[in-house]
Amino acid sequence: MTESKTLTGSSLLFEVLKDHGVQHVFGYPGGAIMPIYDALYDSDVKHFLCRHEQGAAFSAVGYARAAGTVGVCFATSGPGATNLITGLADALADSIPVVAITGQVPTVAMGSDAFQEIDIFGLSLACTKHSFQVTDINELEKVLHQAFEIALEGRHGPVLVDIPKDIQLAEVTQRLDKLSHLRNKVKLPLADISKALDLLTHAKQPILYVGGGVGMANAVEEVREFAEKTGMPSVSTLKGLGAINPDNENYLGMLGMHGTKAANIAVQESDLLVVVGARFDDRVTGKLDEFAPNAKVIHFDIDTAEINKRRTADAAILGDLKGNLPLLTTDLEISVWQQRLQQMKTDFAWRYDHPGDNIFAPAVLKTVSDLMPSNTCVTTDVGQHQMWAAQHMAFNDPSNFLTSAGMGTMGFGLPAAIGAQISRPHDTVIAVSGDGSIMMNIQELATIKRYQIPVKIVLIDNAKLGMVRQWQDLFFDGRLSETDLSDNPDFVMLSRAFDIKSQKITKKSEIKAAVEEMLDHDGPYLLQVQIDAAENVWPLVPPNTANDKMMEGV
Amino acid sequence: MNPMTLNKYQLVIMADDKQVVLERILQVTRYRGFLINAMNAEVNTGNNVATITMTVSSERPISLLVDQINKLIDIKGVKVDNSEVQIQQYSA
Repeated sequence: MTESKTLTGSSLLFEVLKDHGVQHVFGYPGGAIMPIYDALYDSDVKHFLCRHEQGAAFSAVGYARAAGTVGVCFATSGPGATNLITGLADALADSIPVVAITGQVPTVAMGSDAFQEIDIFGLSLACTKHSFQVTDINELEKVLHQAFEIALEGRHGPVLVDIPKDIQLAEVTQRLDKLSHLRNKVKLPLADISKALDLLTHAKQPILYVGGGVGMANAVEEVREFAEKTGMPSVSTLKGLGAINPDNENYLGMLGMHGTKAANIAVQESDLLVVVGARFDDRVTGKLDEFAPNAKVIHFDIDTAEINKRRTADAAILGDLKGNLPLLTTDLEISVWQQRLQQMKTDFAWRYDHPGDNIFAPAVLKTVSDLMPSNTCVTTDVGQHQMWAAQHMAFNDPSNFLTSAGMGTMGFGLPAAIGAQISRPHDTVIAVSGDGSIMMNIQELATIKRYQIPVKIVLIDNAKLGMVRQWQDLFFDGRLSETDLSDNPDFVMLSRAFDIKSQKITKKSEIKAAVEEMLDHDGPYLLQVQIDAAENVWPLVPPNTANDKMMEGV
Repeated sequence: MNPMTLNKYQLVIMADDKQVVLERILQVTRYRGFLINAMNAEVNTGNNVATITMTVSSERPISLLVDQINKLIDIKGVKVDNSEVQIQQYSA
């Protein structure tokens, strides 16, 4: 028998957060959320004041991804709420469990175009897994519990709860029930296991195609065991990196637009794709009609809507990957295929013997990867540096590589690193960014300063919006439109303004010592790495082209 | 002018009777590439169940829309009328 108590909606929010084990939230106060910030004053929850609501949303995403839990962010009504939207869209695209709490103008003022009023509930429909607007204080407790359950149920995702100011102030008796409020919507048959086994045993050239769903299903161990026991060659999506042990001799690296040559050729030549927690994203498949043209497909997923969405599955296995994948473990006679791909992996291995004194970005990222502690969490922004990090750094778990994959959001890396560092205070966290991306949420250096968060920043600086510049050179006749950033601020001076130790390097001979100094430093650190502005990311599969027709340099 | 073959379907959707449920269904339907040709909704009736009947058309398979509507938290179920009709539209 539990004891009920009367409290305000705002205090009830913190009781529910406590119920769900929430210790940290990221946010920014404002008029319509003041009662919640007043209740925060008496709460045990630690709040991190970010310097923009988008930073708060990305910090919540980074927190969730690094720790495998729900990230929570707060924002006020109107512009505070709209500033969350990009972060929520990012969380939706990458299936990240986030609960966003927004203040709203009082219910009597709603619909009157009141100061800082926006229909965030309406705006949330396209960028959240689900959303609520609470207009009855008696619904608040149930809704808040539901928000956490929905964020984590099935395919993870962001949930927004919009709470008008009068509901935050209203008094209610807490029911203290923690019953599940969701009916089980996931009714998933296992009907295709025998068909999948039949496909597998007849395959001569199978490939294990690993996606971000593996980490979220907490099935890294099972996928690695499957890969080891079957000896099946494997490839990974951007978000799946870390799921397969990078030392596995049959692992070929990332596939897709900037995937390895070995991975893309192997997939194109395969006769069976075993797809685990991946969704045939367009950046992975290239020209869909020509993707793995001779392959049958066994598709494991938690989301029914992903089956047959872009590629028809010959066998679909819905539900919990952790339990389902081991059912498919069997002996395979694929030694000829394995040897051929291992040879291809050797033949097409990355090279770092770049001529000249200038810094070759892949080489610096490889050095960081080789020197960083084993459980380091790396975040990235979006662009060339992101692809170089994906290609040249090694990760031993998906929770150690946080990148905006589906939405491709510049500005993600720095606040996500802050969230990751808060959730894993004893691990090294490195934000790999570009000179374009870092300026998108540069204000979060103030968050680092305020809380002395020891994030390391590796800033790959080509004074360009490098990926767009690369495409303009390759596909728009070299007409470089609005991609020059040669008037960037002095990043070393900027860092110092936020009490962040920093250094700029320009020659390859400086790389190792600089990386070691950064990693040895106790506090936050920014390492600015000047690279050649003309450097491109290779290989590249041009748009609407089959993956085996990749460009390898011009 | 390219002829475009659209398939026409009737959906019957049962949902929790929440004020926003219609907006959610409309948003998903448009975003996933389906035109709404007709719609009848019995919502906010006080009996906790909303019933929405929609006629939609698209080049895309109806399973794409059904799966996405089914993912909405407030949806109890979606039924498709199997009597599919093909119509031709012309677009520039």
